[in-house]
Amino acid sequence: MDFSSELSDTLWDVVICGTGLPQSLLALSLSRSGKNILHIDPNDYYGSAEAAFSLQEADDWVARHSTTAASSTSVFKSASITKPENVVGLSFPRAYTLALAPQLIHARSELLSQLVSSRAYRQVEFLAVGSFFVFKPSSSPSLAPTLVRIPSTREDVFSTTAISAKAKRGLMKFLKFVVDYNSSPQTESWHPYADVPLVDFLREHFKMDAELQTYIITLTLSLDGRISTKDGLATIHRHLSSMGMLGPNFAAVYPKWGGISEIAQVSCRAGAVGGAVYMLGNGIKEMTVGENEISLELTSGDKVRTRRLFRGEGTGGDETGIGRLVAIISSPLKSLFEPTIEGAPKPGVAVIAFPTGSLASAGEADIDCPIYVLAHSSDTGECPIGQSVLYLTTLSSSDSKNTLHRALESMLIALDGEQQRPESLYHLYYEQAGSSMRSQQEDLIFGFPPPSLSLSFDDATLGPVREAWNVVMGEAGVGTDYMAFPDREGYVDDDEMYD
Amino acid sequence: MADQGGSQHGIARTSRVRTEEQKLLEQEKIRKYRELEDQVRSHVSQNHYTPEVFQLTSRLLKLNPEYYTIWNDRRRLLISGLLSKPSVGSSPSRASPSSSQSATTTTPSAASSSSSSTATPPRPASPTAGTSGTTADDEVSTQQQQENDRDVLKSELNFTIPLLLESPKCYWIWSYRLWLLNLAIERLPTAAARRIWEEELGLASKMLSKDQRNFHAWGYRRHVVAQLESAELGGSSMAEAEFEYTDKMIRKDLSNFSAWHSRSKIIPRLLDEWKADDAARRAFLDKELGLIRDALNVGPEDQSLWYYHRYLMLNLVNFVGHPTITPAFTQEDRVTYVVREIEDIRELLEDYDDVQLIYEALFDYTLHLCQLEERQPDPEERVELAGWLKKLMVLDPMRSGRWADLERDTGLVAEVAALE
Repeated sequence: MDFSSELSDTLWDVVICGTGLPQSLLALSLSRSGKNILHIDPNDYYGSAEAAFSLQEADDWVARHSTTAASSTSVFKSASITKPENVVGLSFPRAYTLALAPQLIHARSELLSQLVSSRAYRQVEFLAVGSFFVFKPSSSPSLAPTLVRIPSTREDVFSTTAISAKAKRGLMKFLKFVVDYNSSPQTESWHPYADVPLVDFLREHFKMDAELQTYIITLTLSLDGRISTKDGLATIHRHLSSMGMLGPNFAAVYPKWGGISEIAQVSCRAGAVGGAVYMLGNGIKEMTVGENEISLELTSGDKVRTRRLFRGEGTGGDETGIGRLVAIISSPLKSLFEPTIEGAPKPGVAVIAFPTGSLASAGEADIDCPIYVLAHSSDTGECPIGQSVLYLTTLSSSDSKNTLHRALESMLIALDGEQQRPESLYHLYYEQAGSSMRSQQEDLIFGFPPPSLSLSFDDATLGPVREAWNVVMGEAGVGTDYMAFPDREGYVDDDEMYD
Repeated sequence: MADQGGSQHGIARTSRVRTEEQKLLEQEKIRKYRELEDQVRSHVSQNHYTPEVFQLTSRLLKLNPEYYTIWNDRRRLLISGLLSKPSVGSSPSRASPSSSQSATTTTPSAASSSSSSTATPPRPASPTAGTSGTTADDEVSTQQQQENDRDVLKSELNFTIPLLLESPKCYWIWSYRLWLLNLAIERLPTAAARRIWEEELGLASKMLSKDQRNFHAWGYRRHVVAQLESAELGGSSMAEAEFEYTDKMIRKDLSNFSAWHSRSKIIPRLLDEWKADDAARRAFLDKELGLIRDALNVGPEDQSLWYYHRYLMLNLVNFVGHPTITPAFTQEDRVTYVVREIEDIRELLEDYDDVQLIYEALFDYTLHLCQLEERQPDPEERVELAGWLKKLMVLDPMRSGRWADLERDTGLVAEVAALE
């Protein structure tokens, strides 16, 4: 059978361009629908803006995104790779899987529920996200800076020696407040502060000192440190109610082998099993939009017709972007990944925050927003055993690259243990544009917004996927469970005992 | 490939078919179960103690571990089958009372079954087994018997594990395990028996790790520890290790009655073992009070914490005729400590003004203080007590009867009324 003619003879129900997370989740959502789906991606890898790379792939990617001007085709720019001189220890390129989307996923996230109900979760290995730390600059030149663990459960608060008894009571009262923050009388207390920064509410209503405020803000992972009370309470509520849901003493998980990229791949796999045709290294060269169908000429030369087209849209830029530094470290950084209580799983990810102002200004402009570090141990599969990967993020500015490098240095000093100071072996820097996250639909073409920059998976990403699914399914979708499938035939369960 | 409206069709339809399918599958399961049950009971009633029947009990128990009759059948099958027969004169066991008890739980049919059973596995016995005297052959056969028994017991213990994972609170499984463990003491050399009991401690820890408020598991753990400490298993005190274990459990979840309770049980023994002198005992009490105070600081609404604090307070206050942590405390010492505790608890009110248990504690301890000093509350105290009682009436109107009783018994009616 001539594949090329099969492509052009079929009137496809759906063509999806790009294998980023929303497009891949769309494929997953349609994987039992029986629709004719052609899923293409101009890259020769899965994941688009949420992909994960070996060092070789990173080199190629950086070459394509090194421009410093805002791009009209990509959310990424200013990409560069540097390796410190005279440093050895970097392993071969395929020993690494560096994630463009290293978000952690809270246990309560809708994404996890959908992965479970669609059965796709079975193909993903999740690691626990363990401790959250705050960087504390040294109080005197002779002392090293330290990382202080943030307590977020009652038992954490009990065990910590970092805060006073009175401050502990204050923190407990706040945690209890948040658990029920949407009921009366709590709502009466915070509604007046809804759009005001959370720090103000903490200071004025809870009389929290600056240190406790930074603990709470860190838990929100707020990129500008000025998250509103309304959004901040929602985020902390999600964190607290996620705590312990999937296992003792952790609130979030991280997919092994590159984070969101793995979820995109698993979703595409499900799409393929469901009958969708996949073509990597193939994009759209030309397009003609008719009344009831679109004619596409692909870069491979194939011509296809489809009822509808779904693709990633836009390059963002309407909201503040981020600068990111991915650093490979020559040490396992064990102190970051210790299980916190008896019976808790060994975490694969830790979060470290540099609150606004904690990084000493070296005569340059003050750094006016926090820096977050997502630390990944080799358990994530992203680097060889004995090493770790740090993903540093801050709001982008003319100085973000420098800022991130300095944060990295300070962190390595703080982590300097009995053995040698950990060294960085490799740096990948890039900037990513932010977006207001709205999907676009024009006639038969549906556009997914660019990825969210949130460091914890933002469930708002799932909205456009559902919208897209509704567009495809139309009337037939009404009354059907979205993203809920039974196991496919051949799946074995416990009933074999009866045989 | 194209299937118009396929998905709605697919999903709605499949679920309907599945329900009927499920019903049929269930009926099939029930039929198979009944068949299995009938088989086992029939064989047993005819005294067929064979390996095949043994396998049948395995299958049946996997489906229904609560079926205790079948556990008993399995015990009989083991004794008449896989386990070595204790031979006259070459017994390696210490005749412990528990073993003879387990022997008597087997019915007379077991004795007769060994003569009528058709396919018992051969005993690993040498020709000289059964005669008294200590020839080399005797020792070899004893060793073989012990090894055989050890393997059988281990295999049986392993059999119960998946059952326990599914039904962690099923008495019959635990009872069977205990029976096996006691057989280990009876039939195996001390070192081997001890190893098995140590593994049991590991299992108890795992169960507690999965559900640390499973009081069966805590009780079981205490029993296992007691055995490991016993002379029969060549043991010594594990009080310190167990004390540390309660610490770990508390840090995992403060709200754990069983952990705090265990801790309180271990303390007197621990202090004795350390041969703690008065200074050491005082230091120990200080540390425990500090610990529980830190806990109450973050969890004042938690009853298990107040129970433990109460235990420590009663140590100070109810010292006549009871072993206490600090028997050498003077009256002055006791009063100082009680007063300090009341002060510290009062501090909690700064931030927790509507936690019922705090007011109850303050009320109780103030009365205890007066009792200690053999006096009645003074006017200032009476006003305070009335205030706390009034607060309790507001916080817990359901127990108004109880507060009314308290009001009357402590003669505070007038003071409480004055606070209206």
